[in-house]
Amino acid sequence: MPSHDVMPDMELYQPLQVEDAVALADRLGSRAWLLGGGQDTYGWLKDRAKTTEAMIDLNGIESLRGVRETADGIEIGALTTLTEVATNTLINERYGLLSSAAGRVASPQIRNAGTLGGNVSQDVRCWYYRRGLDCYRAGGNLCYADTPEGMNREHAIFGASRCVAVNPSDTAPALVALEASMVLTSVDGERIVAAEDYFVGPAIDIENTTALRTGEILTAVRIPSTWANATFYFEKVADRNVWDFALVSMAVAMKMNGSTIEDSRFVCGAVECKPRRLTEVENAVRGRNRDESTAASIAELASRGARVLAHNQYKVPLMDSLVKRALQSA
Amino acid sequence: MNPKITRRRFIKGVIFSATAATSGAGYYIATAASSRSAGAVERLISLSVNGRTRRVDVLPQETLAHTIRYRLNLTGTKLACNRGECGACTVMIDDVANYSCSLLTHQVKGREITTVEGLRAANGSLHPVQQAFIEELAPQCGFCTPGQVVAAAALLIANPNPSREQARQGLSGNLCRCGAYDHYLNGVMRAAELIS
Amino acid sequence: MTFMHIGKDFVPPDVEGKVTGDAKYAEDFRREGMVFARLLTSPMPSGRIVSIDASAALRMDGVVGIITADDLPASKPPANPMLASEYVTYIGQPILAVAATSEHIAENALEQIKVEFERREFVVDPLDSLVEGGPDAYPEGNAMVLTAPEGDENTALVGVIKPVKWPAEEIEKLRRGEEPDGTFTAGWEYGELEAEFAKCDVIVEESFVTAGTPHQCMEPRTSMVYWENGKCYFHASTQSQSAVNNGLAAMLGIPPEDLVVINENTGGGFGSKGTSYPTMGVSGNLARLLNRPVQLRITREEEFYIGIGRPGMQGWIKTGLMADGKVAAVDLIIISDGGPTGQNSASSSAGHVSVLFQPNAMRLRNIPVFTNTTPRGAQRGPGQNEMAAVLAPIMDKAANQLGMDRVAFRRLNAPHSDSGIYQAQSPVTSAFMAEAIDKGAALFDWQAKVSQPRRRGNKIVGVGVGQGYHGAGGYGYDGLVKIHPSGKIDIHSGVGNLGTYSYAATSRTVAEVLQCSWENCEIIRARTDNHLPHSSVQGGSNTIFTHSRANYVAAMDALNKLKEIAAAEFGGTVEEYSIGDERVFRTDDSTKGMTYAQAAQKAIELGGQYSGQQYPEDLNPITQRAVAGVAGTGLIGVAKDNLDRKGTPPGQIIGFMEIEVDIDTGKIEVTDYLAVADCGTVMHPQGFSQQMNGGGVWGIGMAAYERHVYDPQNGLPANVGLYQSKLPTMLDVPVHMASAAADIPDPFNPMGGRGIGEPSQGCAVAAMTSAIADALDGHLFNRVPVTPDMIVNHVAQNSYGPKPLKLNTF
Repeated sequence: MPSHDVMPDMELYQPLQVEDAVALADRLGSRAWLLGGGQDTYGWLKDRAKTTEAMIDLNGIESLRGVRETADGIEIGALTTLTEVATNTLINERYGLLSSAAGRVASPQIRNAGTLGGNVSQDVRCWYYRRGLDCYRAGGNLCYADTPEGMNREHAIFGASRCVAVNPSDTAPALVALEASMVLTSVDGERIVAAEDYFVGPAIDIENTTALRTGEILTAVRIPSTWANATFYFEKVADRNVWDFALVSMAVAMKMNGSTIEDSRFVCGAVECKPRRLTEVENAVRGRNRDESTAASIAELASRGARVLAHNQYKVPLMDSLVKRALQSA
Repeated sequence: MNPKITRRRFIKGVIFSATAATSGAGYYIATAASSRSAGAVERLISLSVNGRTRRVDVLPQETLAHTIRYRLNLTGTKLACNRGECGACTVMIDDVANYSCSLLTHQVKGREITTVEGLRAANGSLHPVQQAFIEELAPQCGFCTPGQVVAAAALLIANPNPSREQARQGLSGNLCRCGAYDHYLNGVMRAAELIS
Repeated sequence: MTFMHIGKDFVPPDVEGKVTGDAKYAEDFRREGMVFARLLTSPMPSGRIVSIDASAALRMDGVVGIITADDLPASKPPANPMLASEYVTYIGQPILAVAATSEHIAENALEQIKVEFERREFVVDPLDSLVEGGPDAYPEGNAMVLTAPEGDENTALVGVIKPVKWPAEEIEKLRRGEEPDGTFTAGWEYGELEAEFAKCDVIVEESFVTAGTPHQCMEPRTSMVYWENGKCYFHASTQSQSAVNNGLAAMLGIPPEDLVVINENTGGGFGSKGTSYPTMGVSGNLARLLNRPVQLRITREEEFYIGIGRPGMQGWIKTGLMADGKVAAVDLIIISDGGPTGQNSASSSAGHVSVLFQPNAMRLRNIPVFTNTTPRGAQRGPGQNEMAAVLAPIMDKAANQLGMDRVAFRRLNAPHSDSGIYQAQSPVTSAFMAEAIDKGAALFDWQAKVSQPRRRGNKIVGVGVGQGYHGAGGYGYDGLVKIHPSGKIDIHSGVGNLGTYSYAATSRTVAEVLQCSWENCEIIRARTDNHLPHSSVQGGSNTIFTHSRANYVAAMDALNKLKEIAAAEFGGTVEEYSIGDERVFRTDDSTKGMTYAQAAQKAIELGGQYSGQQYPEDLNPITQRAVAGVAGTGLIGVAKDNLDRKGTPPGQIIGFMEIEVDIDTGKIEVTDYLAVADCGTVMHPQGFSQQMNGGGVWGIGMAAYERHVYDPQNGLPANVGLYQSKLPTMLDVPVHMASAAADIPDPFNPMGGRGIGEPSQGCAVAAMTSAIADALDGHLFNRVPVTPDMIVNHVAQNSYGPKPLKLNTF
């Protein structure tokens, strides 16, 4: 097993227009790899754990960058950097939840290069899979993590289906909480997919984390006004405060009427292969005050149904605690 | 030694051939297939590095760190992880800090690239960050230092008067195994004073 | 004592190059015709190489050659071979290197090489191997039965590999915290252990485990080598100019005088680059085989594999305190994870206890067990710092049971200048730990900190105290000084350059002795052909004490020669002469004298000992060659350090830490940290602060972040990269870290100084584990690192979490 460090030979395409990009994506099909900020891509290719014949670099397409106001909310170009998402005034003012989440991704330099589209489309971080082992997700027929001896501290407690990897994206739970939708463009036109459906677990597609089809490009993320200026709570618990993926994260949007929670979206990250919507929690807090007693009454509702592995049992109390904190903090 | 292992001396020849070994600005020979598919990028590109335009032959998949170090021979930029996990390779692209190991060189055509070697003033005097890092004895082993210097310079372009906490956030994408963080932070704060 | 230079800040000459990017490291050198080499490494933790087929790679354009173990001298396990020959014993073990005209081609060539293996059984946790029926890391067994006494950390063990097994019930006892009975292969003892335990009011018994940790120096150990006129020019990443030469020359099969080691800067070593290491031999021999310059770039992943790491340990400790708080007896068992190389720091671990708590009687029983994990070696405070990590809260528990304040308890047991240490209860040069403790407790405001309310919202405040120790110096190295006829002063130093700046701080001893301006001095270093003396390694916290002595004796030799030359000119004896303003003159008539420049010119005319044609016979051969190289060019001061000696100079520090433990998330934030060193005179305040803070960051890393992680199913390491190794970032350490010193000179160093590079980590990790236990009502994890999941599980009273004493596999 050579330890590789240099990407293998490949072709590079740098289209300047979306139409050219989708035409290339259509023509090259599964031979091509879509390149956003590349912060997930380069590791795979340098390790040579995955290869590709061609890359379609989307960075030259100016129309894919920036934040625009729409009739019902905002649209964020998929190539908008995470730094821009974290600091953009419009997003900060109305959708601070997304700013907080984007601001907690990796490190400043990664946020300067990494894009929102890339962050929500990144591959899982299961270390067995990233090492190039022949697991289910890699097309093989076993899982190294879901065994009594597997080193599975970072893995899933929900939604396992042969694979127990979690979705590592920090912005994904925030987008699900904000009821965002994804604009997927291909030669056949646009397809709009709700964020909640964009992320898929292994039961639906074990080799991909998103509903993006070959030939499609994620071109924009739309956030409706539904949760604009709501009360937000975001927390990411990771070993280190830089360069780390969440052990558990929590993105919460609450519509308040005085101290009463009229409606809410609770979405938990890093416990499943897609952001986990906590609908039972949402139902239980509807009409209740945001206070200590509501927090206490929720108890272990969030983690109900969790299936733990040898080393990730801590995720159960941790996700319960983060729900409690969302309800406590004023 | 197991007799079943049949090896031989795997040396093709020991005659040094200068023509075969060196090329142009660096010591790197590009050998990826030169035949190009329709629409794929040209390999010979212009880069603007530290205010100078350089023509270089760059592989499609080549990272900026590799181009800087091996084609332009600007070795101040360090490769410590080559995975965007340390910051030693930090350069500025249009005044914004980036990991040069995690950018394709072909992506920065037409952008202004500044490496640690490009921070001195035209008269050769040190950048305030460099001066302050010397005064605070910020570096230890020095291997992360070029990245710290460039990250700090980029931070001070965006925010010339940062609080210590803002400076800490701004430099947080640069790992220092020696643990010289406190001294680097002192250096950034001193540099901000020198600038103002 | 009032110094002219010592104790004052200065700008070390290499700093500017570091901030401008001009500083060159081994991988920054290029040479006409240079080729790029890359390693092919073992994909399995244990196996036998059946065949290697490199024919396809060799047919590729641009590939110039491959080196395998067949091209190199054989080595014997557990020595770490340059390249694996028949057996591989860890994932990532280098098997061959391929050289090509570009790194890109070399990488592509690696994919074309086919190596056939036979898999063998493997093991990644020492207890899994030690238990009866457990697998062995080597075909011959799992432990080294020594046939010669163990040397220091950098000395290879001498013995034979044999299987050693313990009954399963003894392993289970250990996991339960009870004393096991099994075979040990090393250990020591002093005092009357049973009698001392009998005197005790409080006895605490605990099992513990500390993780192995990769060094992950920022600079991977890349080298660039070329041969010219029979000499090997080796651009190396190394901690020393002196300590690397003989070993590397041996790997290349040449006499040391034919080896030129070039090392201007080194991007971190932390013990892992103290001596020559195997991949140096790979690039050096490959360059000779190819007859062209070779750069062997080591990747981050490879640096994890071959960069050695700190051994983890599993153990048991029984501590007895008498009613007054005096530690009467300590009984210690350590099972070390030696990796495939058997590195064992257990004696140093036990030494840590013996120094800082001064038990009347103590016993160490120890067995290092081989595992198929990365090779192990010395890492910052080897043995001592990991012991500090688990010892602090255990000692706290004992003190708390007596109702004794934790700081008062440490002060009571602290070593003094007449204390004995380690098995031999040998002397220290001086020790002022009690003074450091008093200063620290006052500066940190310990009493107020421990009395404050402990609840801050969802966070609990923990306050901790801990100590670090390392033997901080040696004796007998050589110094070499030259005064040019121009008056310029050269200080030759073979101390390496890791960025501690001790190569420079110790050189200032010469300026101090000669009372000359620092601007007039130049440190000659970086290449062995710059005529460098046999010098202290930059490591082991040794440089400050050791090499300021060596520089002192050389400077004193130069001073004496200056006076002799002046006395010959102006009459009288040397005692009647003084120096000042770079002149030597009669004390009673300063007009009768000459400048250093004039004296140097005179030295050249006089020849002999004055200009280095003759030199003391007790100089190391390295220094003898160095003197010969500069002979006749100026006034030469050269001498071996034969100054008075008395035992070990102790580098010791006390650390105080306040933390907040978030009981919901398990996250720990360090809110205050202060360390106070007993390190004699602080010779270079900024350098001191750097080492104190840097060690603090390392201590936080050991306490809460860093560890080896291996998969027990296939032996794969999980933390080969920097992000998985979880080195602390700027946002994981406090915004400010504070340090101070007891500042009492060491009588056995003319400048009064001792080093503190290593205990600065030990005191921080100990203070942090002490604070964690304090925050959690005295709960002992008996394990480092303490990660957020462990705290969350503890708070939730989950029965999950690591099985007791698991190592490398949580």
